[in-house]
Amino acid sequence: MHKYVFRRLLMLIPVLLGVTFIVFSIMYMTPGDPAQMILGEKAPAEAVERLREEMGLNDPFLMQYGRFVKNAMMGKFGRSYTTNREVFAEIFSRFPATLQLASLGVLIAVAIGIPVGIISATKQYSLFDSISMIAALIGVSMPNFWQGLMLILLFSVYLGWLPSGGYGGFANFILPALTLGTSSAAIITRMTRSSMLEVIRQDYIRTARAKGVNEKTVVNKHALKNALIPVITVVGLQFGYLLGGAVLTETVFSWPGVGRLLVDAIKQKDTPMVQATVVFIAVTFSFVNLGVDILYAFVDPRIKSQYK
Amino acid sequence: MLRNKKIAAVLALVLMFALVVTGCGGQKPAEQGENAVPAKEEIVVAQGADAKSLDPHATNDQPSSRVMKQIYNTLVTANEDMEIVPGLAEKWEQKDEKTWEFDIRKGVKFHNGEELKASDVKFTLERMLKSDKVAHIVEAIESVEAPEDYKVVIKLKEPFGPILSHLSHTAASILNEKAVTEAGDNYGQNPVGTGPFKFSNWQAGDKIELVANEEYFEGAPAIKKVTFRNITEGTNRTIGLETGEVDIAYDIEPIDKDKVRNNEKLTLIEEPSLSLAYIGFNVNKEPFNKKEVRQAINYAINRDDIITAVLNGAGEKAGAPIGPKVFGHNPNIKPYEYNVEKAKELMKQAGLEGGFKTTLWTNDNPVRVQIAQIIQAQLKEIGIDVAIETLEWGSYLDRTARGEHDMFILGWVTVTGDADYGMYALFHSSAKGGAGNRTFYENPQVDELLEKGRTSVDTSEREKAYFEVQKIVVEEAPAANLYYQTQNVGMQKGIKGFRLHPAGHHRLFGVSY
Repeated sequence: MHKYVFRRLLMLIPVLLGVTFIVFSIMYMTPGDPAQMILGEKAPAEAVERLREEMGLNDPFLMQYGRFVKNAMMGKFGRSYTTNREVFAEIFSRFPATLQLASLGVLIAVAIGIPVGIISATKQYSLFDSISMIAALIGVSMPNFWQGLMLILLFSVYLGWLPSGGYGGFANFILPALTLGTSSAAIITRMTRSSMLEVIRQDYIRTARAKGVNEKTVVNKHALKNALIPVITVVGLQFGYLLGGAVLTETVFSWPGVGRLLVDAIKQKDTPMVQATVVFIAVTFSFVNLGVDILYAFVDPRIKSQYK
Repeated sequence: MLRNKKIAAVLALVLMFALVVTGCGGQKPAEQGENAVPAKEEIVVAQGADAKSLDPHATNDQPSSRVMKQIYNTLVTANEDMEIVPGLAEKWEQKDEKTWEFDIRKGVKFHNGEELKASDVKFTLERMLKSDKVAHIVEAIESVEAPEDYKVVIKLKEPFGPILSHLSHTAASILNEKAVTEAGDNYGQNPVGTGPFKFSNWQAGDKIELVANEEYFEGAPAIKKVTFRNITEGTNRTIGLETGEVDIAYDIEPIDKDKVRNNEKLTLIEEPSLSLAYIGFNVNKEPFNKKEVRQAINYAINRDDIITAVLNGAGEKAGAPIGPKVFGHNPNIKPYEYNVEKAKELMKQAGLEGGFKTTLWTNDNPVRVQIAQIIQAQLKEIGIDVAIETLEWGSYLDRTARGEHDMFILGWVTVTGDADYGMYALFHSSAKGGAGNRTFYENPQVDELLEKGRTSVDTSEREKAYFEVQKIVVEEAPAANLYYQTQNVGMQKGIKGFRLHPAGHHRLFGVSY
């Protein structure tokens, strides 16, 4: 197991190299001069040229990339072009907001998605099943920003119960977490249901029932555990996405998260910030994936024996 | 059974993790504005972007200036009527054409307890001259001397009429030498000024908190705490006002204005700003090298339509390139009338009766994109077939500076409130390209007048020169000036003493609730 984890961590290196290369190329190829962006439209041309030289922007592409990798290996991602802050300091100051929101969102999604999925599967074609599948369809199709606005309208403007946005106490979490949670819940519900349906038709379930095991145990013990693998994958993916920042939700709720940081940085062609944010997101995503893979082992001993 | 327990344990762990993580953000319960006492001492101000830095020499953007205005003072200040009034300098005197002497107010304390001395002023302006971002604002300065503790002498390279306006720019805010040196690279997050509010806390991307400076030299502010919140979406700023979470919201979206106006708990104030929106022509390119074509386009544009449809009335038709709040504005210049017949006639004179094909560039700013669409339709009337190209901001600036465009839409804010800032960069031949003259217009007479306006210190002489420049550039039409944008602020009815500053960075000192 330890070896496996170590190997997975080693695999991060090529992944990160690939990610940085792609991002660096894209930022390099997009039009717009970072030096001009830094100094603003009214800066004299000589100053811009001086800065270009200073930043090494006149060097060939591979040289610039090589320098970036070298600095990155020493943990130096530089300072933001726009705010002149250390990029990782800025990311870490934003990350708690994203982590908290993503965790609560996934928690809500799991709390709704898994039970509803199980009940839908065990009572296939029942009224409950139909209603929950329609609800899930709506949840999947409804754009987050629209749902967010509707929640704000209802709970903040009309009822005045909850703040309409911003970061702060627990009350500030409820609406954005609900927005994220319900759309993820829809996906998890559908996944749980289909996975359960597949398992529940298998012979060993019939055997269990024939043995006289009561239905509750059949579902919770025999069926659920085998149905859980794809569900865990989906939950992990959702969590990974949310950690990368749910840009639209963050915007609607004025949430100071990583997603908005990235989008703002892209808009301002703040290359060091974009680089560092993408690397950071790639690393968190990889860690979540690793976490999910480790979780498989707990659920399914057959998989555990493969981790060597 | 054992395995079930394991799953339960993992789930419990995840749950605990989530609770701990979410819990640690909530140091304090949500503050809702509703149940506050009538005379509030805290106000929340919402704007559309977070500040970039609170070091005046590190950035020159509006959101940052709006916060810095509360923390710092300048030597002289332009008040809400754009008159120059004393700031940290009690009085000043022009010794000769190129020498200005300022008497610094005594007993002014920085937020770190240091007393303001002339050496701080010298340090600040010298540091500013080294900053590529803002040096252009004070480039006229040759040297700064501090012969006495409370006296500063500024020597100019050559006579420069608008120097006081430039010193009133928020970028020329006076800093404390010790604080800047101590903070080093992190000064932008640890600003120390002399202003009515002290910096307290910055949650990046979310909010900046300021607290009252009880020792402020003009008296302690009535408001004890100001929070600048970053609410990107215009709709959300309006919602914030409606729910009472926000007390003052800058830049209400045109579409939300009536909503604020009609809400009995809220007020909307609206006034002209210092900004102009214009269509520039590349006068180096066919057929925009022909004056008739440029004038024809000016006549073919219905500015009223644009102001009504896109701005919801938040603009004033522009004739001259500088608005009525700017020093030097020529009130005799009227906007081009909307006259399609006249436009067609001019096209005929230019030998382009059949029209031509061209492109209009804009960045992805939705207001500009909409304007481009309206102009596209209006120019079709006189046979000009316009294709709209939307560019990303960086490349937009880059490529218009290199003169790759036919027509483009841009804005210009005369932040100093002086015609020099508003017209030198746009029309002087030395400013071609990135410096501001993206139409590549060149006229020796205009150059001469602009130089005269810049170097003369005689106000009426300067005004005369600028009146003349405006007459010429409107007639020759290297650009079609569209409108002067009005700015607005929505706020709770209980807010008193708030006035809009034409430059957009409004003072919160003097505001009470």
